[in-house]
Amino acid sequence: MKNLFSIVIVALFSMQAAVVEAADAYVPKVYGKKGYVWDEMTPERIEVLKRGGDPVKGKESFRGCQGCHKADAAGVREGVYPRLTGQHASVLIKQITEIRAGIRLNPKMLPFVEDPAISMEEIGDIAAYLGTLTSARENGKGAEDMSAKGKKIYTDNKCSRCHGVNGEGDAAKSFPAVAAQHYDYLIREMKWIRQGVRGNSHPEMVKAIAKFSQSDLEAVASYLSRLPDYRTVTAAAAPAGK
Amino acid sequence: MLYKNNRIGRRLSVFAALAGMLFVSAAVQADPVPLEERLQLCAGCHNQDGNSVIPENPKISGLHPKYLVRQLEDFKSGDRKNPVMESIIPMVDESEFKALAKYFSEQKRLPGLLAPVEPSAPAVADASAPAAAGALSEQAKAEMVEKGKQIYEEGVLATAAPACGGCHGADGAGNDKFPRLNGQNPAYVVQQLQNFKTGVRTNDPKAVMRAVAKRLNDDEINAVAEYIVTLKEAE
Repeated sequence: MKNLFSIVIVALFSMQAAVVEAADAYVPKVYGKKGYVWDEMTPERIEVLKRGGDPVKGKESFRGCQGCHKADAAGVREGVYPRLTGQHASVLIKQITEIRAGIRLNPKMLPFVEDPAISMEEIGDIAAYLGTLTSARENGKGAEDMSAKGKKIYTDNKCSRCHGVNGEGDAAKSFPAVAAQHYDYLIREMKWIRQGVRGNSHPEMVKAIAKFSQSDLEAVASYLSRLPDYRTVTAAAAPAGK
Repeated sequence: MLYKNNRIGRRLSVFAALAGMLFVSAAVQADPVPLEERLQLCAGCHNQDGNSVIPENPKISGLHPKYLVRQLEDFKSGDRKNPVMESIIPMVDESEFKALAKYFSEQKRLPGLLAPVEPSAPAVADASAPAAAGALSEQAKAEMVEKGKQIYEEGVLATAAPACGGCHGADGAGNDKFPRLNGQNPAYVVQQLQNFKTGVRTNDPKAVMRAVAKRLNDDEINAVAEYIVTLKEAE
């Protein structure tokens, strides 16, 4: 009887705690957990998007990032660190704020990007600065003879619906550009998205790549890694289109 | 009163009051120690020009004045701990930090292990010199420097340790947030990296250096220190 009484008390208290928590604190949810919604705006992300960014300030703030991503933000060919050059500001802001919120799980990056290593203001500045960068360094590429198979898989699975026919992604929808990304990074992230290790997987993407074999993953990664930086493609296409 | 209703008398009393105020304020403020004299306190360990000849002590020449002031403040508050600095810092008033920092920031950083000027003093240096570095063959030393250069410029991919040069600059010049590294004494670099790694030193803003040092093993720490001492200031 006494036990039942204490259970009721504890239950009442935890219910109250849950209510208070819901009202006060933002609670991040990762992929696979109940209530996870892809692209759900965090309070910080809303604020950063509202503020915009200053590329001049961003250059100084990026100093703390370039130990891994390099001064040209092109990462490393081994794919341990992604190529950020040309990535949409909206995507960079989504990823950084979601890592900080614990939605994208990235323990290796977290110490260098969590508050106060980088302030909220600096996120927008860095994203704006990266938009100004180009890199002459070649990215890590997959085998050339896998590319055609990769292109077919990319097309058949309608990957371009989100990531674009040129791998340019979609800035407005926060879909990342994937063209000219490092081969090994693409493979790693596809696996981590599929396994839920990345934390902020898009459920549609998980479904789309669920049945990809290792060889399929390699083919798609090879194809995308061999695409040119989408900015050169759109720049070349622009005069013809007008 | 002798000077009653007397102009001179009133002037004198105003003068007396002013002099009294001056005296009181002088008594409240401790006699400022001239910079020249104060520098002697630092020079014993860091050398007059901030290029310490004792391998375990840091070269403080050419460090950004803001960085130097922050370290002095942290020694004062206990946020940064060091047995020697703990005994020295109470003798230095916080009002002196800026001038000291300015002086040492203006000294040119010299690369390499430096020999003591006075031949009578080297006993200390010999005793504290890193045994490993001294015992290495030319060949092994060159390999270590090469490995250190790789770590400094590229980091360690396996553990995601960032390249030192990312923040501290390819030439190690640093800035107000990230201290100058070029030419730093290797024994000191090893000691500080180990202190960050084990959590003995905790005054790195944002805990970034603690995160970095945890990703380096002892060999990597020793190698990067051997490279840093060879780095020369860009002209």
